[in-house]
Amino acid sequence: MNYDWTLWGLFILLGLATTLPRASFIVLGERAALPESLQKALRYAPAAALAAIVAPDIFVSGGELTLFSPRLAAAVAAVLAALLFRNPWLPFITGMGVLWGLGHLLPA
Amino acid sequence: MPPSFRDGLREGFRAFLPLSVGLIPWALVTGLTMSGVGFTPLQAMGMNVIVFAGTAQLGTLPLIAAGTPVWLIVITAFVLNLRFIIFSAALARGFRGVPLGARWLSGHLLTDGAFATCLEKMLSHPDPQWRLGYYLGPSLWSWLLWQVFAFCGVMAAGSIPRGWSLEFMATIALIVLLVPMARVRPMLVAALVGGGLAVALRGMPLRLGVIVAIVAGIAAGFAAERWRGKDLP
Repeated sequence: MNYDWTLWGLFILLGLATTLPRASFIVLGERAALPESLQKALRYAPAAALAAIVAPDIFVSGGELTLFSPRLAAAVAAVLAALLFRNPWLPFITGMGVLWGLGHLLPA
Repeated sequence: MPPSFRDGLREGFRAFLPLSVGLIPWALVTGLTMSGVGFTPLQAMGMNVIVFAGTAQLGTLPLIAAGTPVWLIVITAFVLNLRFIIFSAALARGFRGVPLGARWLSGHLLTDGAFATCLEKMLSHPDPQWRLGYYLGPSLWSWLLWQVFAFCGVMAAGSIPRGWSLEFMATIALIVLLVPMARVRPMLVAALVGGGLAVALRGMPLRLGVIVAIVAGIAAGFAAERWRGKDLP
């Protein structure tokens, strides 16, 4: 498929659509302070957002809820590695090891 | 370059370095996908530099390939990045005393990983120069990795087996960020509600379910804190 010059216009619009939410409060700063209670609530944003991004990767496959999968086992292995050991590389090694190992044993 | 800026830069980079490997497969996959929908290498790298947003890029590529109306593509990208309004607001206090140009740059460079790495220090360290350095260390490193490995993906399109599931390394990186947070009870509640609802609402159009799940997770964490009757340490 070929695209003409309008693709670059789309990239610029997409750049605005993705940068404006990111820059919003960082740029506005003190001029648009959020209320104290909202700031307190926002401390929960990273945990809620990370879980909301990760959970579908682990529990959903092809649009269907999948409770037992190599990806769930790999995620559990990564969580255990992160909980039990301080080595920052270990969750990647154990997680991917389990994923590849199970993928080998149980070809889908 | 003030010395405190350089110190912050170095410490932020060091804190983020192990987590940053999770970006590599994500960038490779994005590069492969951009080639896959028929972009030339110049177009692919143009998108990568101008947009610089993994989920928004991966989420809009199928729409671009399918000839979807521009307004719908742009709204989809905006919605996929809505969570950053929350991140941006949470970080805002950390940018007191930082000049406007550096703020725009910082906003454009905001990522999930940089946010999770930097939030605590950005809100607690007294020196604005140090804070800016601590933020830009992980952010600039993410930018560099993103461009280099997306380029590798564009060039390697077609020769990496899909069966390797390398993109799962990005999921592991997010898990590594999440685990220490979830040791505090209300945080765990926020994560469980956010994750559970994101799965339950996966059928909502435009991936709006993720936004609903995040907002509900935040509310649940806040409610759990109130219910326990004490603040986080």
